[in-house]
Amino acid sequence: MLRKIAGPFREFGFFAGTLYIVDRLLRGVSPGLGLFVYEFMVQPISDKPLLPANFARGLAFREIRRGDPEIALMPARPEIKESRFDQGAVCLGAFKNDTPIGYIWFCFNTYEEDEVRCTYQLVNPAESVFDFDLFVFPEHRMGIGFMAVWHGANRFLRDRGVLYSFSRLTRFNLASRRAHDHLGWKRLASAIFLKIWNVELMLATIFPFISLSFGPSRRVRLLFRPDVLQSTE
Amino acid sequence: MNNELQLLSDYVRKETSHSGEIDADEDLLASGILDSFNIVSLALFAQEQFGVEFEAEELVRENLAKLSNLVALIRRKRAEGASRS
Repeated sequence: MLRKIAGPFREFGFFAGTLYIVDRLLRGVSPGLGLFVYEFMVQPISDKPLLPANFARGLAFREIRRGDPEIALMPARPEIKESRFDQGAVCLGAFKNDTPIGYIWFCFNTYEEDEVRCTYQLVNPAESVFDFDLFVFPEHRMGIGFMAVWHGANRFLRDRGVLYSFSRLTRFNLASRRAHDHLGWKRLASAIFLKIWNVELMLATIFPFISLSFGPSRRVRLLFRPDVLQSTE
Repeated sequence: MNNELQLLSDYVRKETSHSGEIDADEDLLASGILDSFNIVSLALFAQEQFGVEFEAEELVRENLAKLSNLVALIRRKRAEGASRS
């Protein structure tokens, strides 16, 4: 029992471990309760290839469009995938000898968060995207899978004049945090959303810092700028 | 094998801050010492360090997760290179 309680503190540290336990307790009471702890990240889109030419041999990248057969291979629910296309998202697929390795989604201008009522707005949409749901098929996860998807994504985005990619990661997803570390992402902000059925309280490290929403008609808007990259370079 | 193993072990320790011994037959992915990102870095290091060039098809768990298997691959690539020249 003690080991079970100590686990989150060991994995996430004292503060995030406490938040994790609170979240588990809330969800145990009702599925309408929960604590969402997010970190917002940004990375520059490199113009240098991520993989050397011999590693990238046989790789191909192309947009996966609504109705393409690869859509059925994606684990997300059909209505989620439809809603992504509806909000103008683009899906880039990575293929090895015509077999899908993985994919990544991009949104331009804004991204509507689907877990809480929040809209992420890119301040410089001509040079920025919001990426989400990077997925690598299990058989490619322990090889070049993740790097291959980003290898193609960098090229795809650079060709469209995109210089920065933003993303949201859950504080408790350590694998995703490690992946972001490897790729040189920087954290631009954090936010905590306390969800009590229809009521959502947000505390964030960027404007508007605090928000209270009582229903679906009000979504808080967070503005994403890549300034953190300049300040650390 | 010892020299290659030593260089690869040293690289893994440096990359991952792992301080313990690394067994040549230990599955470094299963033990959590390596993940899917630094396994690619390890392959890149091996290419540069030992002057070999891997095919994309060879960058799989079977060849990279255990240092003994990686050393065997490096030696196979060197032998292929030597027989061609």
